[in-house]
Amino acid sequence: MSFDCSEHLHYKLLHLTGEVDLHNSSEVRRCLLDILKQGKSVIVDFSDLKYIDSSGMATLVEGLNIANKNNLSLIIAGANGAPLQVLELTRLNQVFTIVDSVADIKE
Amino acid sequence: MTEQSQILIDVNNLDSAYGDRQVLHDINLQVEQGEILVIMGGSGSGKSTLLRNMLGLMKPRTGSIEFGDINICHATKAEISKLRRSMGVAFQGGALLSSLSVGDNIKLPLRQHTDLDENTISIMTRLKLELMNLADHEDLMPSELSGGMLKRAGLARAVIMDPKILFFDEPSAGLDPVTSVELDQLILNLRSAMNMTIIVVTHELESAFTIADRIAVLFDGELVITGTVDEIKACTDERVVNLINRKPRKNQLDADKYLSRLTKGAN
Amino acid sequence: MFAQIEKLGASVIASFDELGRFGLFLNSVVWSIFSRPFGFNDLLKQIAFIGAGSMPIILLSGLFTGMVLALQFYAVMVDFGAVELMGAAVSKSLIQELGPVMTALMVIARVGSATCAEIAIMRNEQQFDALTCMAISPYRYIMAPRLLAAIVSIPLLTAFYNLIGIFGGYVVGVYLKDLSGAVYMQTILETITWADLKMSFIKSVIFAVIIIWIAMGKGFFVHLEKGVSGAEAVGRVTTKAVVVSAIVMLFADYIISSFLI
Repeated sequence: MSFDCSEHLHYKLLHLTGEVDLHNSSEVRRCLLDILKQGKSVIVDFSDLKYIDSSGMATLVEGLNIANKNNLSLIIAGANGAPLQVLELTRLNQVFTIVDSVADIKE
Repeated sequence: MTEQSQILIDVNNLDSAYGDRQVLHDINLQVEQGEILVIMGGSGSGKSTLLRNMLGLMKPRTGSIEFGDINICHATKAEISKLRRSMGVAFQGGALLSSLSVGDNIKLPLRQHTDLDENTISIMTRLKLELMNLADHEDLMPSELSGGMLKRAGLARAVIMDPKILFFDEPSAGLDPVTSVELDQLILNLRSAMNMTIIVVTHELESAFTIADRIAVLFDGELVITGTVDEIKACTDERVVNLINRKPRKNQLDADKYLSRLTKGAN
Repeated sequence: MFAQIEKLGASVIASFDELGRFGLFLNSVVWSIFSRPFGFNDLLKQIAFIGAGSMPIILLSGLFTGMVLALQFYAVMVDFGAVELMGAAVSKSLIQELGPVMTALMVIARVGSATCAEIAIMRNEQQFDALTCMAISPYRYIMAPRLLAAIVSIPLLTAFYNLIGIFGGYVVGVYLKDLSGAVYMQTILETITWADLKMSFIKSVIFAVIIIWIAMGKGFFVHLEKGVSGAEAVGRVTTKAVVVSAIVMLFADYIISSFLI
């Protein structure tokens, strides 16, 4: 798994690649919480994400909660395959704002 | 078996016994990645024994059970421990620890094996509880739950670490039909969303036909047939036909012996 | 006749089987103490149950035993004109013998039975299978805290028993029999040696291991009981655990006394 941070408009873009699971979700968590602590909204790019387990989902849920409390937003972009199914199975697709791709976010 | 799917569990020539009583005879079975395999059989067919062997809770008399390149019958403690962390087992009555709340029961593997943050653990637990429709029961003790709820809590604990392989012992036993169907659907969803390989031990025909990719039928410790639902339905072996048509076992009546059994000990 | 010999042989073999199982069981529990993670919270919970929870019955029974001892000794000593030795007699009997043994019996009744039943039920409900399949050692997670808690608590309970027993003897001696309180205390100081206290302590530690080992072991192997299952089996092993641990404890008491007196 790897991830990198960049910018997209006024958002921080967190691009996840590979598989997020028990072993590496804490790293993602640290990064995500840091971004939110800096007061920036986040787009999490799922387009190259092959697999995410519940520890990864829990991290995103925690992030969303913090974002909402601080009037920031957390958007998931490009969810496909297994990660999309997880979002559907856990009904989190109705909780998160999900867009088809990063390019769709224009403001 | 397609070229794509790999074999996760390979059971070879398995013989199992309790003392002198042989329970399993030369079992050969393979579990493919991503499939839902149902092990079916009547009472006394040996399906629980087969499960216990596969889980490493019993050592077989002969034969091997291989998970990849690890033979669970001969592996080191460390290897088995590692293997077990990628497996989940849902036991018949839930098998929750009676001194811990439902939530703490589910969190147990996470707290023992990972150093995830408590917030993460908490949300993971609740995600699984929601999936099992147990959202309000996190703080209850096992003694306060009904049989069906205990099963679902046990299942939540079994899948909390998103295992690659899930074993499910008699999921439908003691459940009402509606919950049973919901549980079947849950099993199917778990497989597709998490790419879990699921092995279900059951005697419920309806469930088996609904969820199974393949069914392995046991009779008196022998594996009679392993095949898809259609293959099982088309099987001509008398025992399988009776099982599917739910015909009781017919023993030929010996009238004299029957009479003497009835009147044993009379003057 | 051969059937009888067969039966006898079978039960002898079964006894050795059980001894071996129990030996391996204790070995596993002891080694698991050194595995990580260490269940400190569970240890504390068990100390609260075994130690703190037993205090009321220990204090009550200790008090009454001390009082009875004083009465008994007085009845004998008064004919020899030896009543000033009351303090020595009561404290010696308690510290060397009655303290450890009575404490052990009280703990067997309360903790031994409860622990055995709890573990037997866990076995019946496949909780140990579940733990094993989660790669959590039942020895480390369930058994070790109880063993350590017993070793910590029971010597302390014994000490409390001794103390309150001596106090009970004091009350009877001084207030009922008009003995001198100062003489009572003085004879205690003169008679009780470190060897006596060591004996009390060693006995209590060994009794602790015996009690909890047999209680846990009987419960853990409830599924191997012949002829019974379910609730009936739990009842049977609990009864056996209480009886066997009491007898083994008394036997150990004799052995230790014969070495240390």
